[in-house]
Amino acid sequence: MAIITISRQSGSLGDELANYLKEKLGCEIISRGYAMENFFGDLPEEEIDRLNESAKFFMDKIEGTDVTYKERLIESLKQKADGSDNLIVLGIGGCVILGDREDTINIRVYAGEETRRNRISRRYNLSPDDASSTLAIGDRKHKRFVSFLFNTDLSSPELYDLTFNTDKLSVEECADAVLSLAAKHDTRLRISRETQENDSIDHQTQTPVFKNPTEEEFARILDMYNIEWMYEPKTFPIEWDAEGNIKMAFSPDFYLPKFNIYLELTTMEQKYVTKKNKKARMVMELYPGTNVRIVYKKDFLALVERLKQFGG
Amino acid sequence: MPSVLQDSIEINKIVYDEETIKARVAELGKQITEDFKGEELIVIGVIKGSLYFVSDLTRAIDLPLKIDMIGFGNIPDTTSKTGVVRITKDIDIDITDKHVLIVEDVIRTGLTTAYLISNLESKKPKDITLCTMLLNPNRLLMTIPVKYYGFEIDDRWLLGYGLDKKEIGRNLPYIVELTKRD
Repeated sequence: MAIITISRQSGSLGDELANYLKEKLGCEIISRGYAMENFFGDLPEEEIDRLNESAKFFMDKIEGTDVTYKERLIESLKQKADGSDNLIVLGIGGCVILGDREDTINIRVYAGEETRRNRISRRYNLSPDDASSTLAIGDRKHKRFVSFLFNTDLSSPELYDLTFNTDKLSVEECADAVLSLAAKHDTRLRISRETQENDSIDHQTQTPVFKNPTEEEFARILDMYNIEWMYEPKTFPIEWDAEGNIKMAFSPDFYLPKFNIYLELTTMEQKYVTKKNKKARMVMELYPGTNVRIVYKKDFLALVERLKQFGG
Repeated sequence: MPSVLQDSIEINKIVYDEETIKARVAELGKQITEDFKGEELIVIGVIKGSLYFVSDLTRAIDLPLKIDMIGFGNIPDTTSKTGVVRITKDIDIDITDKHVLIVEDVIRTGLTTAYLISNLESKKPKDITLCTMLLNPNRLLMTIPVKYYGFEIDDRWLLGYGLDKKEIGRNLPYIVELTKRD
């Protein structure tokens, strides 16, 4: 579904968020420990120690090769992402290495100094002063790693799609937001990819403006049932002239991602209904795998009627 | 006029009589028994329409299954005109990693079924299978995989064997077509 990178301050609950998401998505976490063991597992222990000690050693070439440690890290992580449906990358500059991929969601987790100090202090039974210095060391290391390897400031907001302040938010609340965003993003990407593969036109960035009260009412009914919908996300060209210009197109009113179905509402006269039926059939013929259903006036009225009594 | 109905309810004809329903339920029960042999099955009936169907169907399934019921309703909400759909009676049995069979009286648009599936999916069952006594395939707005159904219906308004008109008529042992729906 998504590649999720998490950049975090020490004591911000970033690690806990990664673990929670791992359970929910059933995927791996690529952390520094994972990278050292799997991307550099063939190297002698002293070289691993050196890499753990300072970021600057990542710029050196791996002995007997023309490849730097940094290059191997980047290449290995990209390969891992290419071969995974879901993946969580915790730290190690994931937001920079994978940030340009369209299926990546970059998360930043931070919290106020006092919150983080209290968490570290409680977890490791440290005095407030010791907790403060532990935090400072951790933050400096995270920052220096990315700054040194990628010349990037981890605190830059443009690196992230979503930022959490966990002063007031729980891990579960943050995870729900990430999962919801990942699911929506996945749907949007799927539709965009389909659009690239055929001649249909993507409208997903537009804000829904309903053409009539029936559409608005129908959207409300879908909301009632907690059914995710998109309004007119796509236009399907269905007839072209000799020069390839679009002569006729069809934009179904609703798309239900979970059911992969387009719905077209019709509350009009029969002659228009016939036309819509024809267009829906043409879309299904020209774009295999696309399901379109017409919601007739009597269906809609029956649905509203049933809702009054409750049913559906 | 059957004595369980009110005078205001006009019946056009009997669509499925007791014997027909009984025979079809027995067939469904046999098929489900074969399909879930050796598996742990939890049957979840949807309140209130599926009451009689669940009762008859589960007795026609020859497996050590568990039975639960789920109910939902339209709850008024201050932030919207139409209210929101909410579970009014949740299931009590843990369905995690179990085969679940949802049993409904009728599926028309599929909206309520979609809501049910999405709600039950969050409880992480092994899989969810759908069974409905009546199915109107021409009115389905969702791509819902209904594996078992008793009878295909059209747009007629039906009553009996769990289906009601303003809460009356559920206890008719057969299914009738109403002259009109007020």
